[in-house]
Amino acid sequence: MYVKSSMSVKAFELVPAVEREQLAGEKTRIGVECIECCGQHLYVGTNDGFIHHFLLEERTTAKGQLSFSSQKLLHKQLGLKKPPSELKAASALERLIVLCDGVILLVDMVTLEPVASGGTKLKGVTVFCVNENPVTAEPFCVEMAVASARRRAVHICTVHEDRVQILREVATPDQPCDLSLDGYFLCLALPTRYVILNYGSGASQDLFPYDSEERKPIVKRIGREEFLLAAPGGLGMFVNSEGISQRAPVKWSENVIGAAVCFPYVVALDESFVTVHSMLDQQLKQTLSFSEGHILQDFEGKVVLASTKAVYVLVPLPLERQIQDLLAGRRVEEALTLTEGAQRNIPKDKFQILHKRILQQAGFIQFGQLQFSEAKEHFRKGQLDVRELISLCPLLLPASSSFTRCHPPLHEFADLNHLTQGDQEKVQSCKRFLISYLREVRASESANGFRQDVDTALLKLYAEAGHEGLLELLASDNSCLLADSAPWLEKHHRYFALGLLHHYNGQDAAALQLWVRVVNGDLQDSTHADLFEYVVDFLSSCKNLDLVWKYADWALQKDQKLGVRIFTKRPVSKEQTRQLNPDEVITYLQKHSQALVLYLEHVVLERRLQKEKYHTHLAVLYADRVLALVSRTSATEDQLSSARQKLQRLLRESNLYRVQLLLGKLQDSELLLMERATLHGKLEEHDKALHILVHQLKNSAAAQEYCTWATAAHDHKNRGEIFHQLLRVYLDPDVPGGPRTVEAVDLLNHHAEVFDAPKVLELLPESWSLPLLRPFLCGAVRASMHARHTSQIALGLARAENLQLHHDRLKHRGGPILVSGKKGCHLCHNTFSEPDCVCLPGGKPVHTQCATQKLKGSPTKRQVDHAHTSNHT
Amino acid sequence: MAESTKKLKKPDVKIVLLGDMNVGKTSLLHRYTERKFKDTVSTVGGAFFLKQWGPYNISIWDTAGREQFHGLGSMYCRGAAAVILTYDTTSWQSYVELEDRFLSLTDTANADCIFAIVGNKADLTDSHAQASNPEGEGQEEAEPARLSLSSSSLQRKQVNREDAIALYGRVLHYKGLDEKACLPAESMCFETSAKTGYNVDVLFETMFDLVVPSILKKRNEGENSTVDLEAPSTGKRTKAGCCA
Repeated sequence: MYVKSSMSVKAFELVPAVEREQLAGEKTRIGVECIECCGQHLYVGTNDGFIHHFLLEERTTAKGQLSFSSQKLLHKQLGLKKPPSELKAASALERLIVLCDGVILLVDMVTLEPVASGGTKLKGVTVFCVNENPVTAEPFCVEMAVASARRRAVHICTVHEDRVQILREVATPDQPCDLSLDGYFLCLALPTRYVILNYGSGASQDLFPYDSEERKPIVKRIGREEFLLAAPGGLGMFVNSEGISQRAPVKWSENVIGAAVCFPYVVALDESFVTVHSMLDQQLKQTLSFSEGHILQDFEGKVVLASTKAVYVLVPLPLERQIQDLLAGRRVEEALTLTEGAQRNIPKDKFQILHKRILQQAGFIQFGQLQFSEAKEHFRKGQLDVRELISLCPLLLPASSSFTRCHPPLHEFADLNHLTQGDQEKVQSCKRFLISYLREVRASESANGFRQDVDTALLKLYAEAGHEGLLELLASDNSCLLADSAPWLEKHHRYFALGLLHHYNGQDAAALQLWVRVVNGDLQDSTHADLFEYVVDFLSSCKNLDLVWKYADWALQKDQKLGVRIFTKRPVSKEQTRQLNPDEVITYLQKHSQALVLYLEHVVLERRLQKEKYHTHLAVLYADRVLALVSRTSATEDQLSSARQKLQRLLRESNLYRVQLLLGKLQDSELLLMERATLHGKLEEHDKALHILVHQLKNSAAAQEYCTWATAAHDHKNRGEIFHQLLRVYLDPDVPGGPRTVEAVDLLNHHAEVFDAPKVLELLPESWSLPLLRPFLCGAVRASMHARHTSQIALGLARAENLQLHHDRLKHRGGPILVSGKKGCHLCHNTFSEPDCVCLPGGKPVHTQCATQKLKGSPTKRQVDHAHTSNHT
Repeated sequence: MAESTKKLKKPDVKIVLLGDMNVGKTSLLHRYTERKFKDTVSTVGGAFFLKQWGPYNISIWDTAGREQFHGLGSMYCRGAAAVILTYDTTSWQSYVELEDRFLSLTDTANADCIFAIVGNKADLTDSHAQASNPEGEGQEEAEPARLSLSSSSLQRKQVNREDAIALYGRVLHYKGLDEKACLPAESMCFETSAKTGYNVDVLFETMFDLVVPSILKKRNEGENSTVDLEAPSTGKRTKAGCCA
């Protein structure tokens, strides 16, 4: 009878329950009229007026197929002219409610014997329904609504073991064709429309029109206060007790005979098919061919359908199987919808496991379709072990990884090549996705527990792709496995990165060896443009001094100026063992003169090491350089002046070098007068120095500068002295060219304040005119006046202070201190026998000897005020 | 997938799209939810979409325009907080139908139901509707080119904005509402294009903002009468045991 299902989702399987032979035997005209299923008990009413009672047992075959075996327990003729048209079990009462020939009968569920029923007889009944959500509190009765022919009313009844009792009659706007009941809500199919009627409140609500002539109405309670109705246009409409639709309708065929709900599906039957729609997305999910069907009903979740000849059960496939089928068809959204829709039917922990797995599978399907952003979202939500993804790229996982793919597998792909069918462009985009995903995983906590696997895989991907993230990864905190990564980095010529990895693993020697080979051109890796500089900087901070010495020569030979940074950039470390001894470095640098100068400059000028040796050494090197330039004719003015500036600066600023030695070196040079003057200055031979400056160099500005410099370290008195010497040198008549009057006047007028005026006046020639020296003299007089006034003020202030203190002292001494024979000493408590006493602070008189003793014993010996002695009694 | 989980949530308020077949109700909703325009098949019965708007779930019902499903209309409108009456700017008939056929369906809607009149397919009649959003940047430079390209192919506009405004007035009159107390017609009549996206977001988002007060009102009224057994109770609950 049923042929095959069109595969969209296989949600249900049609399984025969009762074969034709079991119902009809040899008789050919026997047909099924109505069915009822209650647990394992199946009741079938046939058109020959019989009720058959079967025991239905579920079996699973060896192949895992479900089947039913039905055993007929009993069949009984009801004895009425017409066949039963509806059956309903009231299992708590052990009664079967039978509608037959417009009459409701109660039949024993076991014996099928009619029960003599009292109460009101209902006649002309067309349809009845049981209230699954009863409003009465009585336990041993069933509520039911009954519609009768030619009556515009519904009877609300209760069914008891032995009787049917009418509780009330509810008037309806028209005669009901079909009805359903939930609590107080009657959902009625009237001839031209559906209505919802609350028989408790009497409120009624029109739902929508339809034509009962055209089609048989369907009114089906599908849950608490929700009904499913057949609407025009072959729609299955959902409506709640408020008359509002909260789910979109499903689209059936025009001639649906029966419908049932088996969450999350709506199953409907028409002449030739069983259709299955999802209530979650309203889509048609499955169609099963089924001809001559005329009953479809659900009994406590079991969907039973019957043709005229036989009975079948529509068995829902396990949810997981349905979901897997959907995934196999790559219908990710539907699979997830189904999974999430089933949440309330599955225990929470089980659901979470299922949901995660489905999300992961969904992610892989989308990954396979290169829909990376969707895939990522699903991987993230499904908390995918990222190694599942890594393992798609052969060799990415380290050899030491303990990872094995999940079983059953989450996807069908062997590797990326398989997934992309060898399309290298797609492989590359997969890898790019993997890189970005691994980066995110690293940033979150989700890689915990297998960081080595993730970091190593990322390193390999970076290396392969030439991604700049490689260096970033290695420079930051990482767990890349050296043994596994090294061959990979070598393969991709990432020697610089490999060096970094060695360094990260504490293998600086290996790192340096690699880098040096790259710098020397033995290995090719253009990652780092300034690798030499990098190596030098690396050495400058390298803690292994043996390595520093090992590669220093190489670096200096390559470039002294850069190479010396190994020593000069070295951070000052407190650990003696990691500190380079400057003496050693200087000895070592002897053969690299440029580097040596740079190093000494570093030691003397930057680190300011106060050692005569270094200062002298640097000064000598400077001097040698200057002398060499002087003697060399090819030297340019610039070279010479910059060399001299350096030398002059050192000579001026350092106090440690050996002056005599340098003086000896420079003595003979007629050019280096400035330097010589400075050296004389260092020896405090200001006379000589100034002489050189004024008479040989003839540079009065330099001479004045010299005075300022030379006196910077000394006090004012000495300062004046040096200026005075300069004045004397200016006025010295015993030199060629005579005294330098102009400069002398200038000096006096501009530096009036440093000179001791009377001494200057003694020195000046008689012939000089007063206006010539006016600024100087004015300044001198003013300074003298100023000094006088200042000292007068100071004197006045000191006097005032003294007076004030005097006043305070008298005030503090307070009144007289009384000493008498009756009064005791505060220290020894004996009385005083003599007027001599010592006062403690606060005016307490004590014996002089007591005070002395206390003074000896006290740590601070300044407390006792001896002044406060008194002779008063 | 996020939508499917939302489907299980209970909507707080309902907005219904009404209008003759082929005016583009499904396309409008699709443009808003999926951000694209695609060929849709004639809607069967009805469909709905749940929109998370801030803390609220708003259900938008897309109804079938076909005469066949007309009977379902008033059920869809039951308890609606807003109705979007949609016509096709190139079809006078679709505009006439709104008043003849669809307005009476709104009898079941909330008493304070908000109405919007929407003329879809504006891209066919107005060149300025051929760019997705009128305020958007980059539109200035794109427009002259499009204008010259498409102005020749524009169809005659059969329903003008003034007609829509007039209809809005008549709708209020039908509902017995005072025009002065209601939202002004100027802000409740839209011309949209599901094809280009013109005005679509503006339409839906205006509606969402307008129905929020109705949600709050419903909540306040509902709080006292209904106990939601599924929602975790946040009300005061005395911990005292029995006999305490």
